[in-house]
Amino acid sequence: MGEDIQRKLQLELDSFKTVQKELQKAISTRQQLDGQLNENEIVKKELDLLPADGKVFKSVGPVLIKTELVEAKQNVSKRMDYISKELKRVDDLIASLERKQDTHREGLQKLQHQFQQAQVKAALHA
Amino acid sequence: MAQISDVEQPYMKQIDLTTLNLQQLYTLKQQLDQELSLFEESLTSLKLAQNKFLTSNETLQNIDSDSEGKDILVPLTGSMYVPGKLVDTNNVIIDIGTRYYVEKDIAAAKDYFQRKVKFVTEQMEKIQVLGLKKSKIRDTIVEIVEMKLSEENNSTRA
Repeated sequence: MGEDIQRKLQLELDSFKTVQKELQKAISTRQQLDGQLNENEIVKKELDLLPADGKVFKSVGPVLIKTELVEAKQNVSKRMDYISKELKRVDDLIASLERKQDTHREGLQKLQHQFQQAQVKAALHA
Repeated sequence: MAQISDVEQPYMKQIDLTTLNLQQLYTLKQQLDQELSLFEESLTSLKLAQNKFLTSNETLQNIDSDSEGKDILVPLTGSMYVPGKLVDTNNVIIDIGTRYYVEKDIAAAKDYFQRKVKFVTEQMEKIQVLGLKKSKIRDTIVEIVEMKLSEENNSTRA
C-alpha cells in the first residue's frame, strides 16, 4: 500500500516538474516577444516622425538596402501584428499551463496526505 | 510602449502581510528579491543605452558643413582602417532598431538622440521609484518574518 502511494507520488511529482519547466519556457518566450513588440513600436514611432520623402534603409547582413518609407511602415506594422498574435498564443499557453500546474499541485498534496496517513497506520501496526 | 507603471491593476488586492504564514512570506520575499535584481539589471542596461545615445550626440557636435571633404579613417574591422574623405556631412544615418536605419540631417539627428536620452532617463527614474517601493515592502516582510519567528520561539519555550 505504502509503496503504491509512493510510486504515484513520484509520478505526480515528475509531471508537476515537467509542467513547471514548460511554464518557465513559455514565460521567457513571452518576455522575448514583449521586448520585440516594444522595439517595433519604437521603430514605428520613429518612422512616423519622418517626412514622406525620408530615406530609410534596411540592414541585410553587412549591407544597407534602401527601402521605401511606406514599405518599411507596412513591414513594421505587419511584424507587430504577428508578434501580438504570438503574444496572445503564448498568454493562452501560460494560462493553461498554470491551470495544469495547479491541478498537479493539488494532486501532490492529496497524495502526500495519503502517504503520511499510510505511514501513521503502518507505525501503529508495527 | 516600453512604459513602466505602478498603477494598480484591477486584479490586485491588498493583503495584510501579518495574516500570511512563514512559507508564504518566504515565497513573497523570494519573488521580490527576483524583481529587485531584475530592476538592477534593467538599470545597468538602460545606463549603457543612455551612454551610447550621449556619445552619439556628442559626436554630432563635431560634425557640420565645414567637415565636408575632411580626411577620415574608415574602420574595416576593429583593427584595420582605410583612408577616406567625408562627403555629405549634412546628413547622418541612424540605427532606429529592428535593423532599420533612417537618414536624418544634423539637427534632426541631435533631436533624435536628445529624445532618446530623455526617454531612457525617464524609464530609469521610474524603475528607481519602483525599486525603492519594492525594497521597502521586502524590508517589511523581513521584519514580519522575524517577528513571527520570535513569537514561535516564545510559545514553544513557554
